[in-house]
Amino acid sequence: MANVLVFAETRGGELRKVALEAVTAARKLAELSGGGSVHAVLAGSAGIGDKAGTLAEYGADSVLLLEHAGFAQYNPEALAATLAEKLRSGTYAFAVFSGTAQGRDLSPRVAAKLGTGLIPDATGFVLDGGALIATHPNNNGKVIATLGLTAPVAVISVRPAAMQPAVAARPLVTEAMTSATDPSASRVKITAIRTGGAGKLDLGDAPVIVAGGRGLKAAENFKLCDDLADAFGNAAVGATRAVTDEGWRPHSDQIGQTGRNVSPNLYIAVGISGAIQHLAGMRTSKTIVAINKDKDAPIFKVADYGIVGDVFEIMPALTAAVKAAKAQG
Amino acid sequence: MKIAVCIKRVPVMEVKFVITADGTRVDEAGLKYDVNDFDLWAVEAALQLKEKAGAGEITVISLGTDAAQEQIRKTMAMGADRGVLLKSESPIADGLAVARALAAELKDGGYDLILFGRIAIDSMNQMTGPMVAELLDLPCVTNVCKLEIAGGRGTAERALDGAIEEVEFPLPAVLTIDDGLNKERLPSLKGIMAAKKKPLDIKPAQLGTVQVAVRKMELPAERAAGRILGDSAAAVPELVRLLQTEAKVL
Amino acid sequence: MTLSNGVFAVIFVVAMAFFARSARRLNRWLKIGKPEVRTDHADIRTKNFLLIGIAQTKILRDPIGGMMHALVFWGFCVLGLGTLEIMIQGFVTGFSYDWLLPRFLYLPYVVSQELFAVFVLIPVAFLLYRRLVIKPARFRGDPVHGGDAVFILSMIAALMVSLLLLFAMEIRVGASTDGRVISSMLASLFSGVSVESAHVIARSAWWFHAVLILYFLNHLPGSKHLHVLTSLINVWFSNTSGPGTVGAMRPMDLEAENAEQFGASDVEHLSWKNLLDGYSCTECGRCTAACPANITGKTLSPRMIVVKTRARLTEKASMLDLLAGAEPNAEQVAVLDRKLLDGWITEEELWACTSCRACVQECPVSIDQLDIINELRRDLVLMESRFPDELQPALQSLERNGSPWAFSPSDREQWAEGMDIPTMAELASRDEKADILFWVGCMGSFDDRAKKITVAFARILQAANVKFAILGQEETCHGDPARRMGNEYLYQMLAKGVIETLNGYAISTIVTFCPHCFHQMGKEFPDLGGHYDVIHHTEYIERLLSEGRVPLDTEHGQRLKIAYHDSCYLGRYNEIYDAPRTTLRKALPIMELVEPARTKSRGLCCGAGGGRMWMEETQGKRVNVERSEELLATGADQIAVACPFCMTMITDGVTGAGSSVPVLDISEVVASRLLPLAVAAS
Repeated sequence: MANVLVFAETRGGELRKVALEAVTAARKLAELSGGGSVHAVLAGSAGIGDKAGTLAEYGADSVLLLEHAGFAQYNPEALAATLAEKLRSGTYAFAVFSGTAQGRDLSPRVAAKLGTGLIPDATGFVLDGGALIATHPNNNGKVIATLGLTAPVAVISVRPAAMQPAVAARPLVTEAMTSATDPSASRVKITAIRTGGAGKLDLGDAPVIVAGGRGLKAAENFKLCDDLADAFGNAAVGATRAVTDEGWRPHSDQIGQTGRNVSPNLYIAVGISGAIQHLAGMRTSKTIVAINKDKDAPIFKVADYGIVGDVFEIMPALTAAVKAAKAQG
Repeated sequence: MKIAVCIKRVPVMEVKFVITADGTRVDEAGLKYDVNDFDLWAVEAALQLKEKAGAGEITVISLGTDAAQEQIRKTMAMGADRGVLLKSESPIADGLAVARALAAELKDGGYDLILFGRIAIDSMNQMTGPMVAELLDLPCVTNVCKLEIAGGRGTAERALDGAIEEVEFPLPAVLTIDDGLNKERLPSLKGIMAAKKKPLDIKPAQLGTVQVAVRKMELPAERAAGRILGDSAAAVPELVRLLQTEAKVL
Repeated sequence: MTLSNGVFAVIFVVAMAFFARSARRLNRWLKIGKPEVRTDHADIRTKNFLLIGIAQTKILRDPIGGMMHALVFWGFCVLGLGTLEIMIQGFVTGFSYDWLLPRFLYLPYVVSQELFAVFVLIPVAFLLYRRLVIKPARFRGDPVHGGDAVFILSMIAALMVSLLLLFAMEIRVGASTDGRVISSMLASLFSGVSVESAHVIARSAWWFHAVLILYFLNHLPGSKHLHVLTSLINVWFSNTSGPGTVGAMRPMDLEAENAEQFGASDVEHLSWKNLLDGYSCTECGRCTAACPANITGKTLSPRMIVVKTRARLTEKASMLDLLAGAEPNAEQVAVLDRKLLDGWITEEELWACTSCRACVQECPVSIDQLDIINELRRDLVLMESRFPDELQPALQSLERNGSPWAFSPSDREQWAEGMDIPTMAELASRDEKADILFWVGCMGSFDDRAKKITVAFARILQAANVKFAILGQEETCHGDPARRMGNEYLYQMLAKGVIETLNGYAISTIVTFCPHCFHQMGKEFPDLGGHYDVIHHTEYIERLLSEGRVPLDTEHGQRLKIAYHDSCYLGRYNEIYDAPRTTLRKALPIMELVEPARTKSRGLCCGAGGGRMWMEETQGKRVNVERSEELLATGADQIAVACPFCMTMITDGVTGAGSSVPVLDISEVVASRLLPLAVAAS
């Protein structure tokens, strides 16, 4: 029986879906160890406690509230100090984080403060005696490593979307926590946060890329790509060399051997045939969708999902469907 | 400005990996190696900072086997001034052990900046930078995709999942460098010749207790062959469903 | 000796002393360049000298302008004898070859002088007219010395007129009219001139002519018409038509002890021969007129590469002469430090080159513009690591993956799935040997379009029962793209690796459909110790067809118009123009082969060579578009190519032009005619 501390990630004062996934993972760890408690840390400015109920609904036995104006934004120095202090209390055998940019920034700091090992970005885990055994992608995902960690407090971050949040309602118990250090005294200061929106995200940073090729026929038809990117909200628009050569899009938008090399989670190729020069720059994208009227286009060889058809018909429908899916949450 | 850059020797990824018979390691036969891409960008960032400042010294540190000397030499061919190899016998899966050994080497170096690549593409641990920062009690900024240093302070942009965070930080600091900050230079032949004469210290890595160990290595299931979902907009609902449930990207 | 003999002697000696001083200076400046042996294979050099130099074969590629120039050149050779006679007359008044020669030799000499004076005058008039009135494109554009050309042509005209006038007036004074076919007619025109006046005019014409010749001689060293003196020498020393392998890049010793400079950033890093090229250029612009980069509006002009090389040599060498070892002041240091690279020739010019060799092919005096470009690129990459950003992934991938594209070596044989094609390793394990190695190349292995060529060619080999094998995953790029980009280091690393693999299987015959692989492995590997018989697939298929080994259906099918696009590395680099065309004709007897406006040795590059495949093309029109439009203008139903890179570029150009004319490789055309039975049987 072991207690689990889980960090619930927020953005802009809202819980992220990954926070629920992390709580579900923590719940699972607690069960595997014979039924310990899950304590979720929720940090934010005053009022963040309103979100605690959701964490309880997904299985947090208690929600530790870290309310302070200094936590309005992600504050790794104060958070790491506070979490490490809490974990040193001897109450916990595990600490769970999300394998997001934030979680993978915070968890190593906490692990280092504790002098304990960390398994990052776990896609699954079990317990084996006292050891935490977890799988984790290696070599750009081409190899799966199973790692074993034996430590008084084992720290783990869980890969987003690796597990679905599962409701496991508990009565809401909250407890106030104080920061171990002055949250406003952190050495690194956040001066601004810019969130996505099509055209604002750099191709290298965007988790989703909508790329257009010569099949779009004219510069003005890139509106179809822009619209789809807007529907995603976290997408950037790219183009092939043929398109940038034609001057339909600026050269900085070019994806491929002579342009940008990208590897987003989702790559949507619109009217792109898939010349070697283009494939060389996007082949490693995690999921590839191709829409092209030519069924023999090489792009279908690398695509996970393809629609052979008229981009001018399919794109508006896809944009509407993505909007609808996003609206549902 | 004194800058340290920590780099890692990693296999070239455009291959089909093979797992050894005992199932715990990637077979090294036929693999080619290079400096981890993110680390190359860190080296490039250091070179650009030094060039801009007009003076400084760049030390490249790597923890690995003897073979990693080749990668240290490459960064010296790019323009780094000296190298340190913290020698270990085999790959270390425990990021904290690596961080401890690096921190021990970095501690008294008097560096204004300590740079890492955001992630090593082999272990994909993405933890050594912030761990070293904690061990040395230095401010740390991860995922840096834009960087400026002036007057003992730095400003940077961090690439988060779909958002950009702008930060300010004092020196000395630990930074991890992300894609998009720069494109690394290729060493010139002149640089390669010069690198042969630059100092490279080799010392044992002080790893301490290793808590994380590889239990197993395996290859993931083959990527399923692509599927054609249809020939018109009628296929869109199915596509969206698969993106949500199977690919989990929506 | 008369007073006038004395005066002439003084003028002559002064003129000659001046000329000797100029000649010595030019020779001294040449030595600023690196030493290089260019005296090997005297037989081939002499043949080049006779054909290209004396018979003017290369300048005659432009039939009208070329013939005009050839007449002037031959006229000068013949009139040179007369010039000598006139010079002797300066010392011995009234001297004539008549004193020395028997009649049957002297008379033809007189006739030749008469006729060639006219033969020179006519083209000079034409050339002047062309310069001043027609103004062809190649005389425009570059900031070259057009005025000098007019001055020189006028001077030549004046020489000829004064010569004829001299002859005519001598007849008026009483000289023999024997053999004076032209001047006797002129003399009759001047019948009104008194003998005394005629004598004065004759003497004046003589003085004018003799002094003008001496002036002309001294004008040359500082003018673009230095080529009059150097081009024959240049042709003899040139390697552009052999000896050595045509089109092979200069070998480079990377292991040389204490080597501190790789490639060239200034004139002292070039060879003396590159500098002699500078002396020999008369700025005719034939190279630039043929340059695909220049034609499509890029800054590169091969003529300017040579002109700038000479200008920089003059600038630097004159400064060194001036200083004569003294400490330079700041301004002089600036001149010395202004290198050929950046100071005169920009990076932009260098990276625009497709290495298509059209400039080298066209130069009437065998200048090697490409050699200078390549040496400057080498400096950029090897010394300074300066190259277009887009090249970085290609170079990195060559180093990491052994291919300019980041694909996995394990994907190299994907195309062969189910085709029952053995690898060399498989054969070796069974103790078997293949007759030939089919070298697939990176395009053929990874590019989806090119893979279809790979399959087509493999099917032909199978249909012909050729015992062949591939290297499969053991194949890697030979580094040619890196070499053309200037990265000799990476090239040698890759090439040596490939040679090791080939030697490991004791491979002697290699067939490939990529002209770049063909050229590199066949023509440049020997410098690294790799000697193989490398055959391009167009020649190999032609051989199979003529041996009747490929069962083809040559009876059915439509009557098609096919335009063939010459690959530079097949054509200009290796003079393979007929094999692809013959193969097409044999496979499709009923087709009609049409030629684009620029074809064979004049063919326009597709735009991919010289590493351009991996670079952006933002300046001017795209080369592939220019070429594709030209191919489409033939009205062809199909376009045939014999290179996977041309395939990509021309397909792109044709698609961009909104055309659906198919672009096919020669092997695809042949494979489409394979008898199904034959395929089944194999």
